[in-house]
Amino acid sequence: MTEQTVLVRNKLGIHVRPAERIAQTANRFVSKIALKNGECRVNAKSILGILALEAGLGTEVTVVADGPDEREASSAVAALFDAGFGEELGET
Amino acid sequence: MRGISVQRFFDEKKDEFQLEALTESLASARPITVSDVNRPGLALAGFTGNFLADRIQILGETEMLFLETLEERERIRAIDRLFDHDLPCVIVAKGLEFPSYLVERGTRAGVPILRTPFSTTPFIHQLTEYLERVFAPRTHIHGSLVDVYGVGLLLTGESGIGKSECALDLVERGHRLVADDLVIVTRRRSELTGEASERLRDHMEIRGIGIIDVGRMFGIRAVARRKEISVEVRLKEWAGDVDYDRLGLEEKMTTVLGMKIPVVTIPIIPGKNITVLVEVVAMNHLLRVHGIRPAALLNDSLIHAMKRPEGSGE
Repeated sequence: MTEQTVLVRNKLGIHVRPAERIAQTANRFVSKIALKNGECRVNAKSILGILALEAGLGTEVTVVADGPDEREASSAVAALFDAGFGEELGET
Repeated sequence: MRGISVQRFFDEKKDEFQLEALTESLASARPITVSDVNRPGLALAGFTGNFLADRIQILGETEMLFLETLEERERIRAIDRLFDHDLPCVIVAKGLEFPSYLVERGTRAGVPILRTPFSTTPFIHQLTEYLERVFAPRTHIHGSLVDVYGVGLLLTGESGIGKSECALDLVERGHRLVADDLVIVTRRRSELTGEASERLRDHMEIRGIGIIDVGRMFGIRAVARRKEISVEVRLKEWAGDVDYDRLGLEEKMTTVLGMKIPVVTIPIIPGKNITVLVEVVAMNHLLRVHGIRPAALLNDSLIHAMKRPEGSGE
């Protein structure tokens, strides 16, 4: 199992478009991937689950991956966060 | 430990309990962390041993009548005894009059004091129920919850196995969606309850179509706020080497938040009508609740028939 903490860097936070990108990326891997924001822990392969995080700009999200391709999965998801999901970045 | 601030409690419940803030500030140093409440009669009277300071303190008619019987100096001393402890909050019930020193002392101690017109005992029941809900053990489960013939079925399985599609099919057949994709499960006593996160309520994600609003699309009959979870239905890709239950003699169980619930695993094969199977799971559960176990009954009658001594047959 790998765990890493990432930051929501885009101005609008995780709205439906970033959620779709995360789910699409997560679904390319066989590992189980979860996202955690405080008490809320959701499946990174589910768009609605990701939306339930309600993670706005500056929120710390923990990516937890577990499975044969967990390292690749974790860094692919983290890369999306780091790039601000290709959207305008906000001040953090 | 999980706790809620007095301010949050006030904001959430002020309308229902018709709460009135007697102290100017609702900022309490101590959050509410337990679902039990306390009536501090004995502490007011002088016995502070075993005083449960972490609970919300409720002042009802008995406490107020007692305070009235005291002389001013004694009354102040009694109230001081209460506030010597670090309290989350004090609530005066039944809309009772209160000694002004109560609010003065509460303000000084930084303990919010509220008042409700509700009678003490019913108020305590409702308050405890609310607090139990707030402090109930809670978890998030990736799956869908549907009320099928009154039975709460939790559909689980890997991403893409078709939980949402199955839930949608069930809704189309007249059953009610509680939550899709993410079910927030809480346990209170021996009851597991599932609901959607508030923002996502009534929404589903259907691959190829997108996000839909089931409430708007199918109407109020198609959705439910929360539902007790009775059975977990695990959708699993068909694997030839797995022995699926062919008899249903024993009920397989799974544990959610320390509670055991029956689990039924359904193998998924393309073209198979899962929805009908899921409805059958619900009906089978209802029959079990009524004490009817078809496999066991059939087996009993079979064994009975085979026991007949030779020659005694019809």
